[in-house]
Amino acid sequence: MFDWLNYFLPLLEATKTTLFLAVISLVMGLLLAFLFTILESWRCKPIAWLTSTIVTIIRSLPEILVVIAIYNGIPFLLIFLADNVLAGGLDLSIPLGFTEFNLHLEITNFDISPILCGIIALSLLYAAYASQTLRGAFKAIPVGQKQAAEILGLSKSRTLLHIIMPQIWRHALPGLGNQWLVLLKDTALVSLITVNDIMMQTRSIIANTHNPFTWYLIAAAIYLIISLISQRLLQILETKALYFETTSTVAKK
Amino acid sequence: MSDKFFYYLSVLAKGLPVTLSLSFAGIITACLIAIILSVSLTTTKKWYITKPIKTYVVLFTGTPLLVQLFIIYYGPSQFTFISEHLPTLWNIISQPWFCAYVALTLNSAAYTTQIFAGAIKAVPQGQWQACIALGMNKRQSLKVILPYALKRALSTYSNEIIFVVKGTALTSTITLMDIMGYNQYLYGTYYEFSIFVLTGCIYLLINGLLSIMMRLVEKRALAFENLEH
Repeated sequence: MFDWLNYFLPLLEATKTTLFLAVISLVMGLLLAFLFTILESWRCKPIAWLTSTIVTIIRSLPEILVVIAIYNGIPFLLIFLADNVLAGGLDLSIPLGFTEFNLHLEITNFDISPILCGIIALSLLYAAYASQTLRGAFKAIPVGQKQAAEILGLSKSRTLLHIIMPQIWRHALPGLGNQWLVLLKDTALVSLITVNDIMMQTRSIIANTHNPFTWYLIAAAIYLIISLISQRLLQILETKALYFETTSTVAKK
Repeated sequence: MSDKFFYYLSVLAKGLPVTLSLSFAGIITACLIAIILSVSLTTTKKWYITKPIKTYVVLFTGTPLLVQLFIIYYGPSQFTFISEHLPTLWNIISQPWFCAYVALTLNSAAYTTQIFAGAIKAVPQGQWQACIALGMNKRQSLKVILPYALKRALSTYSNEIIFVVKGTALTSTITLMDIMGYNQYLYGTYYEFSIFVLTGCIYLLINGLLSIMMRLVEKRALAFENLEH
């Protein structure tokens, strides 16, 4: 008999890491996705093309390649920056009239934490997929609504906040929810860049106990539970988002 | 520089057969399984048929492909009686290619079942009624409606095909030398970032060609809709 609790507690700790990674990547990814969407519909065509090319490239690369390439590529980027942009350190002095601020920028450490690489990779992946959903949601809003709001005398910020945003939220929520589930499953990849998530912890437990089938099944069960809970939460969110529409149709009848 | 480029390319190209064979075998088998499952899911209301299929879909869409791959590849080694008493079965399930194939197929079949079942459900009720009015039984009407539904699902399904190709890159974690496997081998030897760029270009090329192909197929399959225009 082996001590179950000794293995379960680290696994719970690792589950926390996975959830932390997924949630942070979700937030960063959503912000990036908005940025991508805005850039893609920019009037300046080169920027729009560049953004949509980047999104297309990220979407067609295997996730594992993105994660590992970012993990291995960031040191190269730092070395490049240290050699060319910040060669010998960058001295900045900001005169403030009565005194001077002296800043010294230099890259001395070429290591980067794997968890940060994981967040960068996962949020890029999420943003690439989510920006397409958001673009569709933006397009689904009729132009007439903006004009109607203008005629009604609503300011631009109020139009955006009270008329456009709720509709985007409603249109995009199912798609964004699906991509959240994909993101959750993609977090398993960060075990390949030495982040101690559920998969990594499971593998180290298996190295001790020699029963891979049982422990991988337990890992699968944890992922399943998290994704089932998120699906339920998403359902609740969706019914809440649709509340306005359902009540208005009832009122019409 | 260019010598290196061609050397890297020649090494990475060695992984191409594994990636392509896995993708095509996985896609075709998954598609066949998905058609059977989605048809049986939408045409019967018997709980002992629909419940297992739904459970299968939830299990395989709710867990990461990496976990499924590891369960299938590392899992059976725990049961010593397989290696002792069933040597032929053991020979088959200890092959990484076969394990990757099974994992990819089962994973993709679950997603594809969702897509196809949704498409069959989305067929307008009038079409079923028209088939009944013509005196067709369920099987005959399926023969008419299924192609229509599958054509409608093509645009979503082409995404799924790209996902299978991307999924094959995970098989490098179970010692299979596909493009990603050779990429890891090359990077481990030479430490050059350009190897990743090159690998990315190969995947881009494969996926780009596949999506162009799927778009052509879609255009031809849905040609009946554009006749009037």
